[in-house]
Amino acid sequence: MGRVVRRTGFAIILLLTVSALTFGAMNLLGDPLFNILGPAAADTTPAGVERIEAARAEYHLDDPLPVRYLRWLGDLVQGDLGVQFSSAGQPPVADLVVERLPRTAVLLVLAQLMATVIAIPWALLAAPRVDSWFDRLSTVSTFLVVALPNFALGVLLKYVFAIRLGWFPQTYTADAPLPDRFHQLLLPALTIALPAAAVYQRLLRDDLVSTLQEEFILMARSKGLSRARILFRHALRPSLFSFVTVFGLTTGALIGGSLVVENIFRIPGLGSAIVEAVVREDFPVVLAIVVVVASVFIVVNFVVDAVYAVIDPRIRR
Amino acid sequence: MAALAATACAGGGDSDEVAGGSATADAPAESDPSDQAAEPAEPDAAPPLGSADVPVEVTLAPADEEPVAGGTMRFAIEADVDGLNPTASSLSAPGQLMGGAVFDTLAAFDVDGVAVPYLAQSFTPSDDLRSWTVALRPGITFHDGTPLNAAAVVASFEAQRASPLVGLAVRPLFPDDGAVAMVDELTVQFNLTDPHRHFPTYVTGQLGMVASPAWLAAAAADPALNQQPVGTGPFRFDSRTEDSVTRFVRNDAWWNGEVYLDALEFYPVADPDTATDLLFGGEIDGLHTTNAGSIVRLVDDDEIQSILDDRGEESFIMMNTSVPPFDDLRARQALAWATPRAQYDQLIGLDVLRQATQRFTPESPYHDPALVQIGDDPARAATLAAEYCAERGADVNDVTGAPVCSGDRIVIQYQYAGPSVAGTRIADLMVAGWSDAFEVTVTEVFQDDLIQNAALGAYNTVMWRQFGAIDPAADGIWLTCRTIGPVSLNWPRYCDEERDALLLLAQAEADPDVRADLYRQVEARINDAATYVFLQHTMWDVALAPVVRDVCGRTSPDGIALDCVGNGVVWFDRAWLAG
Amino acid sequence: MTSTDTGTVTVTEVGASTPDPGTRLGRLFWVSVAWIVIVTVAAALAPWLPIDDPDAIGGDSGLDTALTAPSWNAWFGTDTLARDVFARTVHGARVSLVVGLVAIVLGLAVGGTLGILAGYVRGAFDRVVTFLFVVLLSFPSLVLAILITSLLDRGLVTIAVTLGVLGIAPVGRVARSATIQYAERDFVRAARMIGSSHRRIIVRELLPNVAAPMGSLALLGMALAIVAEGGLAFLGLSVSEGSTWGKLILDGSQTQTLTDAPWVAFAPIAMLFMTVLALNLAGDRLRRLGDVRTSAI
Repeated sequence: MGRVVRRTGFAIILLLTVSALTFGAMNLLGDPLFNILGPAAADTTPAGVERIEAARAEYHLDDPLPVRYLRWLGDLVQGDLGVQFSSAGQPPVADLVVERLPRTAVLLVLAQLMATVIAIPWALLAAPRVDSWFDRLSTVSTFLVVALPNFALGVLLKYVFAIRLGWFPQTYTADAPLPDRFHQLLLPALTIALPAAAVYQRLLRDDLVSTLQEEFILMARSKGLSRARILFRHALRPSLFSFVTVFGLTTGALIGGSLVVENIFRIPGLGSAIVEAVVREDFPVVLAIVVVVASVFIVVNFVVDAVYAVIDPRIRR
Repeated sequence: MAALAATACAGGGDSDEVAGGSATADAPAESDPSDQAAEPAEPDAAPPLGSADVPVEVTLAPADEEPVAGGTMRFAIEADVDGLNPTASSLSAPGQLMGGAVFDTLAAFDVDGVAVPYLAQSFTPSDDLRSWTVALRPGITFHDGTPLNAAAVVASFEAQRASPLVGLAVRPLFPDDGAVAMVDELTVQFNLTDPHRHFPTYVTGQLGMVASPAWLAAAAADPALNQQPVGTGPFRFDSRTEDSVTRFVRNDAWWNGEVYLDALEFYPVADPDTATDLLFGGEIDGLHTTNAGSIVRLVDDDEIQSILDDRGEESFIMMNTSVPPFDDLRARQALAWATPRAQYDQLIGLDVLRQATQRFTPESPYHDPALVQIGDDPARAATLAAEYCAERGADVNDVTGAPVCSGDRIVIQYQYAGPSVAGTRIADLMVAGWSDAFEVTVTEVFQDDLIQNAALGAYNTVMWRQFGAIDPAADGIWLTCRTIGPVSLNWPRYCDEERDALLLLAQAEADPDVRADLYRQVEARINDAATYVFLQHTMWDVALAPVVRDVCGRTSPDGIALDCVGNGVVWFDRAWLAG
Repeated sequence: MTSTDTGTVTVTEVGASTPDPGTRLGRLFWVSVAWIVIVTVAAALAPWLPIDDPDAIGGDSGLDTALTAPSWNAWFGTDTLARDVFARTVHGARVSLVVGLVAIVLGLAVGGTLGILAGYVRGAFDRVVTFLFVVLLSFPSLVLAILITSLLDRGLVTIAVTLGVLGIAPVGRVARSATIQYAERDFVRAARMIGSSHRRIIVRELLPNVAAPMGSLALLGMALAIVAEGGLAFLGLSVSEGSTWGKLILDGSQTQTLTDAPWVAFAPIAMLFMTVLALNLAGDRLRRLGDVRTSAI
């Protein structure tokens, strides 16, 4: 219980720091008036000045930075993420997040699922046969895959499977029926999943190799338990322990990777939204996305921490 | 005066000595002499695509079939828009395309390029041509049931004029007070600052769209409604998911005849190659694009119908004359001479697009065949740059904050809209061509920022696409001294009082021949000023699936056949799907 | 051409030389180092090498056509502007490598110093630094890079420094834990007992020991920085002037170019891949060498 409270408190402090830093940084970018009014922010006619004053008042642009941060924080607590400065009519940021977040989330979940589904059997096959041709080939492949950056991998996969073979579409249509969208997401998800799978495989395999040498495994083996049973029931569970930690940590890297992959396959997710917002200096949008992404990252690690306790008997007891 | 002499001299030598351009060398051989016979020979006109010597080339299926109602038309637009409110957002081609489904304009261009009454019943000028009385057609209602009346027209006009962005293009034309007045229930009077005989041309596009006043009021309170437009048009708004799909359904009670399509769906597909594949694969029924590579593929296909149109915007390099070095004519001419126009045609335009020497295509009555766009001579550019630097080298370029020259080369900044791979390629091409005479810093900025920098004068030179209004009166706003200020629409900030006088004469002139002559004089002065280096006439291809019919069947209620395409915009009020 | 052959060797050799207790670093390590040296030297000397001008439209050797396939004249073909892809790839290495190098030097300098100090001083300073690392790690790295590049400009130095900032937390964490590990060892305690100054203990006793794990981290970090630059390029946020591998790949990955002329993207991809692989392999070998647990088994 104390552990949960402490971890939650830490997560909240972390979120506050991250959001305050981003808020301060985005405000250094300059006058957001230009985002709201466009070139008219330099209009010096009386009517123009009036519009500028009205906008300043409406968005409290003259208040000191800490006051504005606290106001933003207060709104955030009430579920209000502010408005998009650079879009006509200044629609709420929440609309954008609600529209884009699910696409990125689905992509990431799909990618992590694929990575796990690839990595676990791969490691289970390689670990009991240390230094066999299969194991060596696996190690070489993981090195090769990890050395191929996601954008390069994306371009290669797109060339082979979308352009040459035509098995997958090259782009994403957000309103297509569910099975089509799933089909469209496979290639980008695979782009994210392959390097992750290589990392997971290497980790799990090393871990399994050392677990298999431990005493309780030798004992189980001497009792005549089948090889598969030993692998799944006895060896895999303790190995999942480090796997889960890396899984959580990797999520952060994958979010970064998904920004790039979304760009290659033109998936209108959070990735394209934040890039556009940064270039446009639309800071309410940037803030919202950074906070959402950082929260997801922090929450995932929080959950990982909890799962950790369940899997590892030493902590549970 | 020095400018005139330099250009005249330049014209003499240009046609024979094209620097390093194998592409231009064989150009005359490919052009079709029969079509060109009527025109004086063009020294540097590139061969146009296919047989597109006419401004609009239409390869549409024969229209002798009886229209069938039903079906959904799926159209890929090149980008999504941030809003569909014609009084709040500046509508790009995709915005105009979607706007055209849901809104009607007060006037529309007929096939001869004359603005005729459309949503309005008549336009009547006063004797001094300063005020125009617009009578509306009775019995028309908006999709929400609000009647179309004088109050609605005034509400749309005032909303546009008050808008920070859209208003920029409206305010310079009208006095601050008394710009518009309601005469009676169905009559509005517009009062202009200057006499204007061609006022209806202003209300053929975004400025002519009339929106429901009830919706405008509601949208002012709830910005989300900017995405759900309410007009009088052939289609009613149905639903919209930004960056994904915008759907309109048939307006059964349209005032200008029966609408055949059940629904219209617009999909933003940013990558033109992908859009083309979708059309070939039957996933969509139409698209519009300016991508040369895609146009070649689309035109080569026998099944796909293409409407090609390059009368519209021109692409050009634009210079800011309010900041050194381009406040000096020699620097501007140096940039023009250095510009690799032949390579641009070959590598960027893929020899598909026509080279531009001015704002008008050769078929236009306003086109002046005598005008020459200088370029492709880096040696000449270097000489001019050295001459400029010897005299003005100590000046400071306010944009870069550094001296205007480094040795014999002029130091400038070049901005383009990005992130864009195509934009980067063009930048690489330009910088390589300019490098003998110029030291260039390249800056990639977001489209909005580029427009902002242009409006605020915070640039040396930019890649730009503009002009090409069907009636040149509508392009005057980009040229007049009056739109120079802290926020300029005269982007080069170049004031030429005589040019302004010619523009005012032309917009008040009735005789087409006199008018054409006046615009040719304007064009010559633009050429002398060397504020623009014209590159190409942008070509739009509106490509349609084989089943699409009668996109070019538009008529006004008075039975006049209307122009069916302009700057990538088409209308679907008469369209139907065969089979 | 020879360079490509070396790359192939790298690939096939991996399986053959799994940890061999006899040789300390293994042939693979030296092959990797050789590749890194070749690429670095080629990049450094690129302007003086007998290759085409990478920016010349049509190339120096008169290739006046765009998107021609690889040939004797243009080893990697030409791109959309008829430029020589081989020359562009070699020149692209310049910015990519400088970005990677500057980034990792900065990461080592700042992260290493902070980590060692935190591990040595402990107490409140340690807690502040650790928290700083956690905050830095809470931003997905690419998001942080996007934020910083948008705050500043997109010059070479800015991008390199940005990617260096990304390296601070990971490097710092390793340095800190290594320091803590060694600070408890006898030789450090002894130095403390005989009254050595803190500076002397850190520089003379701790740094040499912490340097080993950080050396391997430097190679891996450089690979990460080069890759991160490519990621930024794909978001349109990489250095605004000059070409990098990331920008070259982006240029070649446009659907039409990729379909008609895949070599425009594939050539820089191959270079990037082999360089990252070499850095990873070399770094991995160094790590294994310094890894106490591995050598104990």
